[in-house]
Amino acid sequence: METDKGSGAASVESFHPSAEDIEKWMTSAFDMARDALESGEVPVGCLMIYKDEIVGKGRNEVNETKNATRHAEMVALDQLLDWCRRSCLDPSSVCEQTALYVTVEPCVMCAAALRLLHIPVVVYGCRNERFGGCGSVLDVSSADLPQTGTTFKCVSGHRAEEAVEMLKTFYKQENPNAPKPKTRRD
Amino acid sequence: MEPQMKRWKGSAYDTDSWVAYPVLSDEQSQDIELTDAFAAPILNKRETSRLVRELNSAYPLNGLQHIKRVRACREKGGSYPLEVLVCLRSDALHIQAVSIECLLPPGMGSDGLGEPFIVKVPARPPLTRPQFEQASKHWPTSFHEDKRVTVALRGELFTPPQKATMHTYMMSAVAAAQAAKKMGLEAVGAVVVNPSTERIIAVGHDCRANHPLHHAVMVCIDLVAQSQGGGCYSLDKYPACRFMSPTFDTLDSTLDVDLKSQPYICTGYDLYVTREPCVMCAMALVHSRIGRVFYGTTAADGALGTKFKVHSQKDLNHHFEVYRGVLSKQCESLHE
Ligand SMILES: [Zn+2]
Ligand SMILES: [Zn+2]
Repeated sequence: METDKGSGAASVESFHPSAEDIEKWMTSAFDMARDALESGEVPVGCLMIYKDEIVGKGRNEVNETKNATRHAEMVALDQLLDWCRRSCLDPSSVCEQTALYVTVEPCVMCAAALRLLHIPVVVYGCRNERFGGCGSVLDVSSADLPQTGTTFKCVSGHRAEEAVEMLKTFYKQENPNAPKPKTRRD
Repeated sequence: MEPQMKRWKGSAYDTDSWVAYPVLSDEQSQDIELTDAFAAPILNKRETSRLVRELNSAYPLNGLQHIKRVRACREKGGSYPLEVLVCLRSDALHIQAVSIECLLPPGMGSDGLGEPFIVKVPARPPLTRPQFEQASKHWPTSFHEDKRVTVALRGELFTPPQKATMHTYMMSAVAAAQAAKKMGLEAVGAVVVNPSTERIIAVGHDCRANHPLHHAVMVCIDLVAQSQGGGCYSLDKYPACRFMSPTFDTLDSTLDVDLKSQPYICTGYDLYVTREPCVMCAMALVHSRIGRVFYGTTAADGALGTKFKVHSQKDLNHHFEVYRGVLSKQCESLHE
């Protein structure tokens, strides 16, 4: 796993979460995923962090909205935008300094959405072999798409086995919907 | 019918002004791949079947069953009328001096064959007629033709009445795009249709001034969800974004209860969109299990043909047909 010490009040260029940030926020993301699993939902935890504050927290809302695009990341991005509105902050300058912590690699759609909002860093646990947009199916995170926002950096593999286990448990219970997991360590 | 339609020159059903072409997978649309092989003239035509039998057992064309072993000689007036494929170049890499004696395995007499020469043969079976025609220029190749693909590539898949229907749907998408443009939004419109009932289910346009992710396709998907009692976008300030509440005749009798309980809300539906969707929207259509997509004009980062072909991505669990060029002129002119 690749981490960078001493980011703190970093410029946009060097914006990168510290090892402590990753540990702390991934713990919260895994707690969310476990809660979801225990209530029979897709076990994906997802947090958007701006200046050490949770500005978006999503869970999969596909079933209740009947909208197949309501993945945890999309819900969290909407919360982030609402938070900016309430805080009277410019969304683009907030997004540039916001990191996403998520237990499973974002899908192709969510990866594109993160690009469109110029989120610079995504920290995730396990790979998503079925839909992954950070290299597993397509590499949207780094593809040359000048009209589709900006590329983002991925930090992957944090507690990957655990994320896979949760997804496997969920599979056994039901459903063709969940992302197919596979551990990634790189 | 939309009043905007009358503004277009000629008839509202001027379906001759556009052609819908399929956006095929890379495997179907790329140039054929060639590989080097050795061929040799058959000196005596009457020995052809023996030579083919012996070569088939010495050098079976594994995985290259689409290649014919023998071809009629190209140059008229050449000394020998038939040529046979001896082996692939990769079968004979160890051979230094290339002569027919060296190429043939011990035990197989070289009599009956002339001096070998290099030819190019197609490495994979052709999938489309253009690929077949390209392949056949190099070496005779067999082809299991998908007639539907051939007709589609000629732009002749849809009958004039079908085109007239497609025309009206895309006109609604164009009208939505114009409504967006008037409000200072990006001029992109989309329509979701149930082709089995020929009813429009949702009409939407780009709303990214309001929300950076509310592209026309995302808006339409949420409107379809709204038409089924779900959805979560608030689109009140955009009157051109709307859905039709299903009446009992459109309540999907075609879908079984199992499917309805899943959020695959666009199963069996078609999308008409004025501009090729981006990668977010293309993947959203995969998640929603769209049936077919028709678009007017391409986009620089488009994900249904230009940069990616998300609809034919092998690793994904849902694939759909895509056609481009529907009302291409009207759709292009939205961006002028
Ligand atoms: Zn997603
Ligand atoms: Zn889009």
